[in-house]
Amino acid sequence: MGKYILKRVLLMIPTLLGVAVLIFFLMRVVPGDIVELRFSGESAFAQKENLDNERARLGLDQPLWKQFVAWMSGIVRLDFGTSMWTGAPIIEEIRLRFALSLQLAIMATIIAVLLAIPLGVIAALKQDTWVDYAVRIISIAGLAMPSFWLGIVFILALLIVFKWLPPMVYTPFWLSPWQNMLQLIWPALAVGYRYSAVATRMTRSAMLEVLREDYIRTARAKGVWEKLILSRHALKNAMLPVLTVIALEFAFLMGGLVVTEQVFNLNGLGMLFVEAVAHRDYTLTQALVMLVAFVFIFVNFMVDLMYAWLDPRIRFR
Amino acid sequence: MLVMWRHISMAVTPATVADVPEVAERRGWLTVVGEFCRQRRLGAIGAAVVVINILVGLGANVIAPYDPLATDYGAMLARPSASHWLGTDAFGRDVLSRIVYGSRTAMLVGFACAFFGATLGTVIGVTSAYFAGKVDLLIQRLMDIFLAFPLIILALAVVAILGTGIGNVIMAITVPMIPRAALVARSSALAIREMPYVDAARAAGFRHRRIILRHMLPNVMAPYLIMLTAYLGQAILLEASLSFLGLGVAEPTPAWGLMLRGAAVQFAESAPWMAIFPGLAISLAVFAFNLFGDSLRDALDPRLRTQ
Repeated sequence: MGKYILKRVLLMIPTLLGVAVLIFFLMRVVPGDIVELRFSGESAFAQKENLDNERARLGLDQPLWKQFVAWMSGIVRLDFGTSMWTGAPIIEEIRLRFALSLQLAIMATIIAVLLAIPLGVIAALKQDTWVDYAVRIISIAGLAMPSFWLGIVFILALLIVFKWLPPMVYTPFWLSPWQNMLQLIWPALAVGYRYSAVATRMTRSAMLEVLREDYIRTARAKGVWEKLILSRHALKNAMLPVLTVIALEFAFLMGGLVVTEQVFNLNGLGMLFVEAVAHRDYTLTQALVMLVAFVFIFVNFMVDLMYAWLDPRIRFR
Repeated sequence: MLVMWRHISMAVTPATVADVPEVAERRGWLTVVGEFCRQRRLGAIGAAVVVINILVGLGANVIAPYDPLATDYGAMLARPSASHWLGTDAFGRDVLSRIVYGSRTAMLVGFACAFFGATLGTVIGVTSAYFAGKVDLLIQRLMDIFLAFPLIILALAVVAILGTGIGNVIMAITVPMIPRAALVARSSALAIREMPYVDAARAAGFRHRRIILRHMLPNVMAPYLIMLTAYLGQAILLEASLSFLGLGVAEPTPAWGLMLRGAAVQFAESAPWMAIFPGLAISLAVFAFNLFGDSLRDALDPRLRTQ
């Protein structure tokens, strides 16, 4: 097991390196650079000299490979540098945004789990009855509605029915939990619905599969109390794939909520990414992508470890 | 050595063919469709809505009551009424007409992305599984790198490079779909790789390309079709998201996501129809594709067939 963990951790390095190379060159292929963007506002005829000076200041006049090596050596020392656009350290730029995205992801996960597991189990137990159909239609609808549109509908409903708008300025949880919740519960619900739809479908199909297993029949034949069969025998075994989709979906929420954040005016990682790309802020974009990719790879790794831990049949070489 | 193998395989061929049980009797496609509709009501409903959606997209110029680009400053933000069934937007453009024309954009993007994404991904996945070893490892690592990007972030990066517009949006959505399709196709192809007929083809000395195209690809048809239908809905959603951010289809092209952008949110209170109806159009289209896709998966995946 220890050897397996070490091997997996080492395997993360080439993938992350690949991500770094990809985003580094992708950003350089994007037409226009930060200097042009910054001077374009001042006058249509910015002095070429000024542009060159600014590029030199940001280190953009260096050959690409030198820029890449400088960036990489920074990352190795956990120094992500400063944002090219604001000049602030990237860690500072990302910190608050990360907290917001993380909180939203956690809230959406809680909503999704609370909805998905009971619904999925009921649908599986009452397979092919109206209950099952209702759950399936609700979950397919959840996959079909764009979360950002659902967010707009929530805002509209609150506005028209209660003449009330959720706060549009972010308050950190530790300053005022109530204000914070009032703002974040709506995007969490909008995103959580889609998320729960994914998890409900997985719970249902995993339960259906498990319920057909021999050991369930054995337990029933032994006369084990049905509730016990469900909780001990069935649900426990059906949870693995469900946990997987929940984990992967969670990783996606960290940084993937670009549009929902826009609707609710939340300055999360997604919005930051859009801004960074729009400004051609190479250092910030690169750092963000590395962060999101790291979260994704790390969650995947945790899922695999969880499999090993929960399912002793899985042996790792 | 190779010559000898070919010789043996040829000698073996007649016997093997005789041993293989009759695959499945070929039925006319009408029978198959009829059976699907009878056994999977929800799927049939989904398919019907999809067909209607395609027809609306194709016949947009006949169905739409107004020109989707025509502005009418006398009827800005007009409520739904007899003359404008779903109201008008901030430029006095008819919302219904824009939704009707928008389905053209949605269907085009949906089908193009799903087709290219699933096809290229499947070819890569099957190739990777077929060659195994170092090639497989290399392709897998490459796919891992792409998979580490959230779908929308990769799409945003591609749009930033290529610029907006329908062709570029299709490309932007297809790129992140490819590694996901490759992953699924590879895992199905790994099993097929071990099948005797692939061994036989290899032993007969066929070229790699022929074995991949003629022997392996047809056998991953089921997961391919499942992915294709699943990606249709996803592509439509992603296009809507990109357009909503202003990074997808450019104004004044009628597109559902674009209709939700800007004024729709700004005037949401006074003109909620601008925000409600395009979203309903997106949801209905994706819902229908998913309903159909789900039933198709149940019908094609033998592991789930008993459910």
